[in-house]
Amino acid sequence: MSAFLQYVVNGLTSGAFLALVALGYTMIYGIIRLINFAHGDVVMVGSFAGYTIVTTLVAQHWPVAVVVLVALVAGMAITGGLGMLIERVAYQPLLNSSRLAILISALGVSLALEEGVRIIFGAGFSSYPNILPAANFSLGGAHASYVQLVMFGLCLLLMLGLYLYVHRTATGTAMRALAMDRDAARLMGINVERTILLTFLLGSVLAGASGVMQGLYYSQINFIMGFLLGLRAFTAAVLGGIGNIPGAMVAGLLIGLIGSFSDGYVSSQWTDAIIFAVLIGVLVFKPTGLFGERVAERA
Amino acid sequence: MTPAQTAQAARRRRLTPRLPGAGMATRAAVTGAACLLSLLLPLLLSQYAMSVAVTVVTFAILGLGLNVVVGYAGLLDLGYAAFFAIGAYTSSLLELHLHLSFWETLPLAVIAAAISGCIIGYPTLRLRSDYLAIVTLGFGEIVRIIATNLNVTGGPNGLYGIPAATVFGTSILTSNAQYYLGLFLMAVAVAVTGLLSRSRLGRAWRSLREDETASEAVGVPATKVKLLAYIMGAMVGALAGMFFSARFGAIDPTSFTYNTSVMILIVVIVGGMGSIPGMILGAAIVVALPEVLRPISNYRLLLFALALIVLMLARPQGIWPARRSRPGSFTAPPEPAGEAPAPAGRRSEPGSVLLSVAGLGHSFGGVTAIGDVSFDLHAGEILSLIGPNGAGKTTVFNCITGLVTPQRGSVLLGGRSLRKLRPHKIVRLGVARTFQSIRLFEGLDVAENCLVGLAAHQGRLLARHGLLGRTTAADRRQALRWLEFAGLSGQAHLLAAQLSYGDRRRLEIARALMSAPLILLLDEPGAGTNPTEKQALMQLIRQVRDSGVAVLLIEHDMDLVMGLSDRVIVLDQGHTIAAGPPAQVRSDARVIDAYLGREETESAETVEEVLGWRS
Repeated sequence: MSAFLQYVVNGLTSGAFLALVALGYTMIYGIIRLINFAHGDVVMVGSFAGYTIVTTLVAQHWPVAVVVLVALVAGMAITGGLGMLIERVAYQPLLNSSRLAILISALGVSLALEEGVRIIFGAGFSSYPNILPAANFSLGGAHASYVQLVMFGLCLLLMLGLYLYVHRTATGTAMRALAMDRDAARLMGINVERTILLTFLLGSVLAGASGVMQGLYYSQINFIMGFLLGLRAFTAAVLGGIGNIPGAMVAGLLIGLIGSFSDGYVSSQWTDAIIFAVLIGVLVFKPTGLFGERVAERA
Repeated sequence: MTPAQTAQAARRRRLTPRLPGAGMATRAAVTGAACLLSLLLPLLLSQYAMSVAVTVVTFAILGLGLNVVVGYAGLLDLGYAAFFAIGAYTSSLLELHLHLSFWETLPLAVIAAAISGCIIGYPTLRLRSDYLAIVTLGFGEIVRIIATNLNVTGGPNGLYGIPAATVFGTSILTSNAQYYLGLFLMAVAVAVTGLLSRSRLGRAWRSLREDETASEAVGVPATKVKLLAYIMGAMVGALAGMFFSARFGAIDPTSFTYNTSVMILIVVIVGGMGSIPGMILGAAIVVALPEVLRPISNYRLLLFALALIVLMLARPQGIWPARRSRPGSFTAPPEPAGEAPAPAGRRSEPGSVLLSVAGLGHSFGGVTAIGDVSFDLHAGEILSLIGPNGAGKTTVFNCITGLVTPQRGSVLLGGRSLRKLRPHKIVRLGVARTFQSIRLFEGLDVAENCLVGLAAHQGRLLARHGLLGRTTAADRRQALRWLEFAGLSGQAHLLAAQLSYGDRRRLEIARALMSAPLILLLDEPGAGTNPTEKQALMQLIRQVRDSGVAVLLIEHDMDLVMGLSDRVIVLDQGHTIAAGPPAQVRSDARVIDAYLGREETESAETVEEVLGWRS
């Protein structure tokens, strides 16, 4: 029983990190029908940005709370800028071309980010310094740290913020309209290019937050970490119903849990096979994901 | 220009053929020179370069296979390496355990891949193509993970000691020999995929890629055709897998990762989707470019990645995009003597009941689109379905043609129920349709749009005409005849996207008639036509009726309805409120209420004015 609870705690933590990334996939897919293969690598860049900041500031003996805050905010700012840069350079010129051309461009960006980071930081693991308090509390036999609790809360807060932004503001409505019909949205006076750019900004900011938190939590990062992360996050986006923001959140947590149970009860070697089998199984019975998609079928 | 127009203009630009100077002769010369060069390559290159060339050939075969799925059928596959792996493992295991030779394992490996193509294809058939991407990716990963974790496949270490292929008793060991074997297998893949592309199946794939709903509505069995794309693609992939394992004598799961799938996809897109020379060129670039960059090894993948982005920005359609059918190539051979010049549909006894709709009802969520609709359509008549917007007219069409399965009531064609039949089956039974928002295969030319319609009465794509059945002279004659009938014979070589609005409507009618229907369902054919076009359209519809095809018409244009119809049915809020000859319906009080609301003081003149009903 305590093992089970422990898996739940760990699964929810990794699931929350995953959900933040899945949101980026689902938003970007919803708005330009692109599986943004570079998104996992944006998370990775966020992790490395956080790593650089944390190691620099820790060396100068800044207080831990300030270091974490600065790393988080700067990491989010850097990935946000990176996301917009990627959109402008590699995607926007291809928005009216075939969707596969843009997909290959995304694969190119993904590889470029990985290789760029590898050249700067090397191919091995980089380790965040261990600066977070390790204080634990017991939860029905399972252990959860306060850090886990705070990070989980922060993830939920960011997701809630995004949800409210997309569903309650005029810009958010413009985004959803754009996801339904780009031409009609343009005719209604929506600045399509800027709204797409804004979507990339939001998705990438969340990716940065997830990257820095994962670095702080797991400590070990490397240039290839974005691949598996991206794969699982995209799976979560599809599982939740593509374009569906709450769906991506729930499915992210769900995939985190499935992964944690599979690691614990089966073997981590089979985890990805199990995750994909669950996905395929769900799609066979519910072709639009668990919670239904929110994008218009391409006419 | 509106954004829609801009997008359409962009699409037209994109669809116009590239390489304008490359005529037939140039193409043939280039192809000949390339063949000669590829045969002489071992004389020109070092051993090391030849081993790279063998890898190029392997990826070219893989590209050709994936091209069937992605390029022809338009299905995104991110796990294609799975078939590469299945071919490699099947062949290796059979050689190691049953001591079969390379060539003996060939059919078995290809069959194993075909079966796995079925397995992956089947559950995903109902999914939209974007979901397909992740499901195929998942399938690819599952295959790799299984190979990594099973004992029989050698786990992470893989299999080794796989014998080399032998040709006429000689083992294929040197790079040069491997190169020629690879070249042979590649030639096989080129021949097979080339034949597929020109076959009826190829046309069905292209129509599916352009518009799945329209494709089913003209008689293409979409699920079967999609499955065949997976199977054909998988079989070619297995060929590459066998070659790969025989070449190295050892395989392990790291050769069949997601990255491999991505590399193959890059070959297809960079080369130019749907194009066979494009695949070979794409493979050369994807494999050779990183090799060329080897001297700056630390930066080569970064440069490769940047080159990929630049390449896509510069040529989003790929380096050597698929060639469209040559302009003017569509000429039908002369009519054999004795054949009737006018197109003839399947004849049925005039006046007999063809289609019988009874108690039809359907709701979407809480909205009742149709409550209770009943009518009969007789052979040789034009029956119009009119009613205010939202009356349920198009839903009636969708229920008849199988796009929507009606919740209540029955649809009988000559006594046979059409309920729950797939749209393509219904077309085969003789019910063809057009769409309110025109749905053509924009990227196919006018003649090809028509020829897709043949799928309906060719029936069993596989059995009757063979998988690689080519378009016969009779097929072409028939297409040209219907195009002439619709007044489009001069435009046969244009892309559907290049036609004017009125021509697009007429092409949709010609395409529907290709299926030799008993009944033609027209959904607002008069929308957006000017008075001259309307006259021509009316003439066309009368001719259709006179050729023996009964017409069921949805239309708002009352001139058209009153001028054409033998009988009119009026729907309001999902119910039939009137039926009869035009003159009778026109004066029906309930019809006037439905259109104008219950306003007792409304004068008859106003009604006539508003509806434009003039006698």
